[in-house]
Amino acid sequence: MSLELEKVSILKLGANIFDPVNLVIKPGEITTVMGPSGCGKSTLLSAVSGSLDRVFTLKGSIRLYGQDILTLPMEERNIGLLFQDDLLFPHMDIGSNLAFAIKEKISRAQRNKMIDEALKTAGLEGFEKRDPSSLSGGQKARVSLLRSLLAEPAALLLDEPFSKLDQTLKAKIRPFVFSQIRRMNIPALLVTHDPMDCPEGGMILNLNKEEG
Amino acid sequence: MSGQAKNSLFPVVVIGLFCITILAGLIGTLLPSLNYLPVIGHTSFSLSVWFDFFSYPGIQTAIRVTLFTGLSASFGAVSLAFLFITFSYGNRLWKFFEKILSPVLSIPHAAFAIGFGFLIAPSGWLIRMVSPWMTGFTVPPDWLLLNDPFGISLTIALVIKEFPFLIMVTMGALGQLDIKKTLLAGRALGYKKEQIWLKLLIPRLYPHLRLSIFAVIAYSFSVVDMAIILGPSSPPPLAVLILKWFNDPVMSFKMLASAGSLFLFFMVMVSILCVYLIEKSAGVLRPWTANGKRRSFLAPIKPIIFFMGSTTFFFTAVSSVILVIWSLTWQWRFPDFLPSAGTLKFWEKGLESSFDPVMTTLLTGIVSAFIGLVLTIGCLEHNVTAKQRRTRNYTNYIPYFLYLPLLVPQISFMAGIQLLLVIMRMDGYWITLMVSHLLFVLPYMFIALSATYLAFDSRVFDQAMLLKRSYIMVLFRVKLPMLLKPILFSFAIGFSVSVAQYIPTMLVGAGRFSTITTEVVSIASGSDRRVIAVYALIQQFLPMMMYSLAIIFPKIYYYNRKGMQV
Repeated sequence: MSLELEKVSILKLGANIFDPVNLVIKPGEITTVMGPSGCGKSTLLSAVSGSLDRVFTLKGSIRLYGQDILTLPMEERNIGLLFQDDLLFPHMDIGSNLAFAIKEKISRAQRNKMIDEALKTAGLEGFEKRDPSSLSGGQKARVSLLRSLLAEPAALLLDEPFSKLDQTLKAKIRPFVFSQIRRMNIPALLVTHDPMDCPEGGMILNLNKEEG
Repeated sequence: MSGQAKNSLFPVVVIGLFCITILAGLIGTLLPSLNYLPVIGHTSFSLSVWFDFFSYPGIQTAIRVTLFTGLSASFGAVSLAFLFITFSYGNRLWKFFEKILSPVLSIPHAAFAIGFGFLIAPSGWLIRMVSPWMTGFTVPPDWLLLNDPFGISLTIALVIKEFPFLIMVTMGALGQLDIKKTLLAGRALGYKKEQIWLKLLIPRLYPHLRLSIFAVIAYSFSVVDMAIILGPSSPPPLAVLILKWFNDPVMSFKMLASAGSLFLFFMVMVSILCVYLIEKSAGVLRPWTANGKRRSFLAPIKPIIFFMGSTTFFFTAVSSVILVIWSLTWQWRFPDFLPSAGTLKFWEKGLESSFDPVMTTLLTGIVSAFIGLVLTIGCLEHNVTAKQRRTRNYTNYIPYFLYLPLLVPQISFMAGIQLLLVIMRMDGYWITLMVSHLLFVLPYMFIALSATYLAFDSRVFDQAMLLKRSYIMVLFRVKLPMLLKPILFSFAIGFSVSVAQYIPTMLVGAGRFSTITTEVVSIASGSDRRVIAVYALIQQFLPMMMYSLAIIFPKIYYYNRKGMQV
């Protein structure tokens, strides 16, 4: 249960771009989709997030906690997405970036507390008033993840989230990301071309090109 | 979601606004020219108005002057622009131009024309500079330099004002061509830079500039404010004559004005058609393009083009300086280089007496630019969503209509609109005045904003949507604030276009509204130079102020956000 992909295939001009995918990702689990660039792994991710380009047609079904999400527009799917770029909003300070993600019904005091705690878990206490561009690459990556999680998504998608970080940073950020996902207890789908990115013990799916 | 779904309304409103006003305007001009003007009892169609028009005393001279100034100013500006790009693209002069282009373009036509007149007049600064030591003049020479019967001074002023406009359009278009690669490839084949531009780049650049060139033609034929200040007076160019007829208290003159407006429209269309035919037949040059000649026959004129390009900017700058000097003058004898006594008296008086027109100008400019901004952003947002969803994209049609108000001579359809408004008893309202400004404000704002707006990183938008789930929230808290700088810049452009409007204010305002521009033009002939200078500077100051705000405000607002400083 939780995030399920059943016989999902994506067609372009009537041809499958990869073999049909069957996946079940339980809360707290991180499943990795691997494959060379151009195999359609990012396309698969955009199918789940709801930003699939209209040149593609989708077959199969995608369910989140039993609900079919394919008919829903992107913003109603309750799914978080992390890109390889941090995509922090450059005109807001770190605090506002995080506050933007928090649901509106939550009180201001509660909001500040959540932001404070989130920053603490990332070792970034007191960063609320900082300008995003003053942060290092690793710090930005952490804030970006925190922001996605503060929106309380029911699932998280990660599109090559570590590819722009250098080796030492990658080694630091990976465990942080995985531990946060486990702590939130949500299903996560990670797309990468780097075998090093796969979390230990997680499921790995190799995306194959349809033969012929 | 609903906000996103309904945004197709914006392009529909914009296209409707353009089509209805221009069509109504042209019909409103056509009917009176065919002797149909029921308000004064003319209800039988005939060609009598046209006979009256062509037999009006001095009409042939007026048409000849318009034809001369219109054609030579457009030809001069366009060829100077192309040659200037050819010789100076990427060099120091070019980079300098890039920097000073916005302030130069922000100078209203009327203010520039006045300063230019103060320079070239027989008692002007240029002659003072060389008198009496070189010329021996102790009194101003009796030369007809200003308001010359051929319209030469008007033509030169038009070239100086149109040239930077074309350079700006070119700079925008160059971004879409891989200039550097072509230059490199061409040079690797042994071609001179000028030959590469002429044979390879300008043919590809031209389609991007076509509509702007047409707009330059339409403007040069139908300019009124500059023509009143610098053009010949008896008879004046056709457009000025038309306006005079329109403002005549005798209603039947309006019919004459309608015929004149249509004839002007016809002249512009024929000229544009000729340019179009020349473009189509440029294919005959293909053998020349491929003849393999690598050396440039243009090299000898390189210094001349440099000189002329720089001179346009020199004149623009010095014409502002001379305005400042005159505005502070108490006494200035010929041929002294500088005034012998200064005063602030004319500023005090001018600021006081121009208060009401300045307020009207500000209000009209700010409101029309604001509405222009809302419509522009609405259309561009529709474009983004329609592209994303691959649904019908109405914004794609906008560029076809956008240039309409710039290609049809202003007076040709504004005249008709004014007549229709009079008939419907809706003339003289501020709101119609503001909408008439909007017609010209909107195209420039749309052109200024669209490229940057459409280049906005859609992943940032998607990320914000996933976090916040509200289109309106994402638009107003993420996307628009991130685009603050280009948005304010396009606002400043819209505002300065509104400030510079002369014909719409004169015609649609029905004489009930005076802006700083109508004031400047009306005092330009016959008033004290010091008063004129003060008014011209106030007119020049308004757009400059808005541009400065558009540049400074984002810097202060985002002073602590390095990511927003680029």
